[in-house]
Amino acid sequence: MKFAAVKPVSRVLARELAVTALLLLGVSVVVFAILYLAPGDPLNVLLEGQSPRSELALGMREALGVPRTWYGQYAAWFGKMLQGNFGNSIRTGLPVLPELARVGVYTLTLTLGSLTLTLLIAVPIAVHAAAHGGTAGNTAATLGAYVLSAVPVFWFGYIVVYVFIHQFGMFPLISGTAAKQEHAWLYFLVPIFVLGIASGTLSEMIRHLREELSRVLAEDYIRTARAKGAPVWRHAFKEGFLIPVTEIMSAKIPFLLGGAVIVEQVFNWPGMGRMAWQAAQDRDFPVIMGIALVAAAFVRSGNLLQRVIFTAVNPRASRE
Amino acid sequence: MRRYVQTPGPIGEFSELSLAQRAGPLDLLYTGYGLLVVAVVVASYVLGAFGWLSHDPQAINVGLINAPPFTSGHLLGTDFLGRDLQARLILGIQAYFLPGLLAITISVVGGSILGILAGYKGGWFDTIITYFDNLLDSFPRLVLILLVIAAFKPDIYYVMVVVGITGMPVIANLIAGKIAFLRQKSFIEAAHALGLPAHTVVLKHILWLNCRALLVIQATLGMAEAILVETSLSYLGFGVQEPTPSWGNMVQAGANYFLQGNFWPSTAPALAILATILGLQLLGDGLNNLLEGKRRK
Repeated sequence: MKFAAVKPVSRVLARELAVTALLLLGVSVVVFAILYLAPGDPLNVLLEGQSPRSELALGMREALGVPRTWYGQYAAWFGKMLQGNFGNSIRTGLPVLPELARVGVYTLTLTLGSLTLTLLIAVPIAVHAAAHGGTAGNTAATLGAYVLSAVPVFWFGYIVVYVFIHQFGMFPLISGTAAKQEHAWLYFLVPIFVLGIASGTLSEMIRHLREELSRVLAEDYIRTARAKGAPVWRHAFKEGFLIPVTEIMSAKIPFLLGGAVIVEQVFNWPGMGRMAWQAAQDRDFPVIMGIALVAAAFVRSGNLLQRVIFTAVNPRASRE
Repeated sequence: MRRYVQTPGPIGEFSELSLAQRAGPLDLLYTGYGLLVVAVVVASYVLGAFGWLSHDPQAINVGLINAPPFTSGHLLGTDFLGRDLQARLILGIQAYFLPGLLAITISVVGGSILGILAGYKGGWFDTIITYFDNLLDSFPRLVLILLVIAAFKPDIYYVMVVVGITGMPVIANLIAGKIAFLRQKSFIEAAHALGLPAHTVVLKHILWLNCRALLVIQATLGMAEAILVETSLSYLGFGVQEPTPSWGNMVQAGANYFLQGNFWPSTAPALAILATILGLQLLGDGLNNLLEGKRRK
């Protein structure tokens, strides 16, 4: 670790933290704006059968302490959120944030697991293609990745479930007997497998890694290294591998979170995606708002991490 | 703020080679297959729109449920109510065709405007638009769509507006990158030196002459995204509802019979989704290699 790299990282960290905070503020404004523009007034539920325009409605607002202006409402909502109060679910009445923390772990396992799997598939193909050019095998692998990326993930899930039932005779998660069966842990890998293969990120990951790596391998300093007999891989690693990998990983997190909504539905996986689906069914605003905010925070932290790695590897970037 | 842009190939490099010299066999294969898919989808859309179908897509025949392909006049078999799968697949295109066009129109128009503001005007616009892009990229699209569905109503056109808006940043970035490249080549300076007004430079020289291929490619990829979103939502039950067919709700309806070993009613629409999305993505990439002049020896 070079000492020269230490200072820029802290500087960039401070800047990126500020940017992240600003973006998360923007995220909260977007979420609030969507709900603010939505038709209907939640208060009408309380005033069922009575005229919403009456004095009663106004009195009700006063009594509940609902601010009259939109910015007042936003400030009140945002202030509560900073204290960790995301409201209570309309359906279950439970506070949103602890619920999200409970199910978020499952979604985190699912997304990070499938991201790892996608990388494990994409990296060897991309590295091989970059190093050896367009051989028949490489073309076939790339084409195969294209096809896999276009497979609808919800259908692929059924295929895998079918194979598991008929080849391994396992029904867990569907009948809820997972704990009693042998090799039950295997079944928890199935949704990860499905999302990792068919989330639509595979072909793009291969393409990005291959193009970046072949670009770097064609650079002059690699040719020099090669001529000197120095290890090419070590010279190409940072710019040709580490940076593109972290870049594509952070760029694909939102896609995986979106894919998780579907995969969790197919496999009854008790995560945030299923909760989002349920909340959209029930028009459970506090829950779906909380999920959107938590998901955005997750995406931004992935991005922040990528920026930190990028700067640590390439300190010059901090002076741009 | 450097960021990863979802783009195949380098931006703006002009190739010295002619189109015929540049075209690799794979690019032609991709493009050919993609064009075939587009032709089939458009033709099927027209057939469905005018109701020129060989079978009534809603005619229930309980005597012939989950029939395999090629049974008694049903070319692609029947579903769990004995309805003709071929007619339902063709009619299912209605669910995404016009909404998808709306989404890509929004992305292309909005993305072009943002890209020109960022690239041509630059300065503060560039900063603001970069933040706007990052803001939109922060949301998983499906979560944002579910939020809109919860707030408004599960209407496909509302959803497609969201898809269109979330598709804008990619196009804006590509156009801004293209303009930066043209500036580097003194292209825009030269146009100004000729005394051309700004709107001519932007509309004709930047958008029409230099960005039209890029916009067509992005529209193709955007349509694939729109189909993916529509089928996913129909699968989740927020899109088109039974008995109106959509490829997504057909997969969902057939899935109950899937685990009993009856693959076909769920697999046929899944293959239609697969073939169409694959075709559009390959078309986008093939055109990108052909028209955007990826360097090729």
